[in-house]
Amino acid sequence: MGWFAKYFPNAVTMKSDFIQATGETLYMTAITAIIAGILGMAIGIGLIVTQPGGILENRIVYNILDKFVNLFRSIPFVILLAIIAPVTRIIVGTAIGTTAAIVPLVIGSAPFYARQIQNALAEVDHGVIEAAESVGSGPIAIIFRVYLKEGLADIIRSSVLTLISLIDLTAMAGAIGGGGLGNLAVNIGYNRFQTDVIFLAMLIILVIVFIIQLVGDWLARRVDHTA
Amino acid sequence: MTNEAIIQLKDIDVTFHNKGQTVEAVKKVSLTVNRGDIYGVVGYSGAGKSTLVRVINRLQKPTAGSVDVNGQDILALNSHDLREARTKIGMIFQHFNLMNSRTIADNVDYPLKGGKLSRTERKEKVAHLLDLVGLTEKATDYPAQLSGGQKQRVAIARALANDPEILISDEATSALDPKTTSAILELLKRLNKELGLTVVLITHEMEAVKEICNKVAVMEDGEIIERGDLVTIFSQPKQPLTKDFINTATQINQALEKIYRQASTLGLDDHHQLVQLQYVGATTDAPLITELYKRYEVVSNILYGNVEILQDTPLGNLIVVMTGEPDKLKAAWQYCQDAGITITHLKPKKPGVA
Repeated sequence: MGWFAKYFPNAVTMKSDFIQATGETLYMTAITAIIAGILGMAIGIGLIVTQPGGILENRIVYNILDKFVNLFRSIPFVILLAIIAPVTRIIVGTAIGTTAAIVPLVIGSAPFYARQIQNALAEVDHGVIEAAESVGSGPIAIIFRVYLKEGLADIIRSSVLTLISLIDLTAMAGAIGGGGLGNLAVNIGYNRFQTDVIFLAMLIILVIVFIIQLVGDWLARRVDHTA
Repeated sequence: MTNEAIIQLKDIDVTFHNKGQTVEAVKKVSLTVNRGDIYGVVGYSGAGKSTLVRVINRLQKPTAGSVDVNGQDILALNSHDLREARTKIGMIFQHFNLMNSRTIADNVDYPLKGGKLSRTERKEKVAHLLDLVGLTEKATDYPAQLSGGQKQRVAIARALANDPEILISDEATSALDPKTTSAILELLKRLNKELGLTVVLITHEMEAVKEICNKVAVMEDGEIIERGDLVTIFSQPKQPLTKDFINTATQINQALEKIYRQASTLGLDDHHQLVQLQYVGATTDAPLITELYKRYEVVSNILYGNVEILQDTPLGNLIVVMTGEPDKLKAAWQYCQDAGITITHLKPKKPGVA
């Protein structure tokens, strides 16, 4: 490990900090992914079925969902962190810390994911939906057995994209004491001029992103039978 | 074929409103299909045929009119009963509409999911359906691995999963090559015979109708302009569009075009007349040409001949140049008419529809 100490003189003394920060990043990412995943999926499906020409066409519901998604997608995340603080306090009990960061993270990523899901499901051939209707399928069957099944490869690809952008967002959670690798890189690495700390934090994030991308691509290829 | 109506559409109107524009896709159309019919609905794209048949299973809600399928008022059904009714009305499509993420067997199994059958019963049913359309060995393949004709067979198997009494075919052969088209049409005919399946076949190709239908309706601009049994429509078409469709199917149009192009070489005058003879059924067998010569010394030079067998009835078309004395020619034509042969005098100077 001599070379490691040579090139990472500061980081080598901060092993426990790095382990903790990595854990915080993974924790925020995982919990947010689950909650935002369910919310985003529900909103995305809601958009696709209520859109004009959809299987449960409903102009009012569609417009509400559509405006809601647009509204929250247009707020910069750093501002969202601050603005959402009172809500966070109600839900989590505190507006500071790793768990508190999850609330803005969910609100920041769920609308993005909803749009991704909507786009993925929009790729499902309308003719296939019509064929399902013609054999007597109802809306629930069409959502679960046609949309989610036929759109699965694209859903996986969008989920990878969303997860990676979510890791990006967790780097800003440091602003409200959320911790994580991004916080470590900025607060210790950047502020104390310890470039090696920034570099190592970045490397760890890169590895996480790579793994997500690889697993995602592999899964998407496995379920994709279009070619 | 019985005379019991299985589908009755009455005064169907379908009007679309799109960005301030109103399109009347179907106007006051009534259509009755009897049990066991293979009913062809022919028309160019945009004539409203697809919209009309989508009314049968309410994939398209009509603006006005009534829909009766198998004694059920389709428009009065709630969504649950409508889904139930749809399981008895199979449908196949131009682009097959199979699910790419499912295997062939799984595609055929799809309509059975959530139904009353057990897993093993469903498996047996799927195997039986794949056998019926001749795709047993493709069960574990995915649609992307199949040819167009095979995909349509899968779609047919899927449409038949719930033992429907009606099959709607929406341009199902339009994306297929002629040989595959014939094979699919043969399959539909076999299903009609073996299962007593009533078929409503939408197409823009009269050839498809000619092969399997017993009845035809011709649509133009959202209206049925002509309808009847196949042989009658083919032998006595009334509307120009119907004639056009039929002449394209029997390739008379193509033949006439060639003949007109070199009309000068025929040397037509009072003694040489270009006529089209059309005969239906038994008259086909009489040695007409010889008879005309023996009786009237009229020589017939055959330029084009075609015999179609429609519903086991022969339908013949001849384009000939008849040569003889003018009054003998007239007598010869009278003789033909008395023998039940339709004569059309063709004038090369006005090329176009015969």
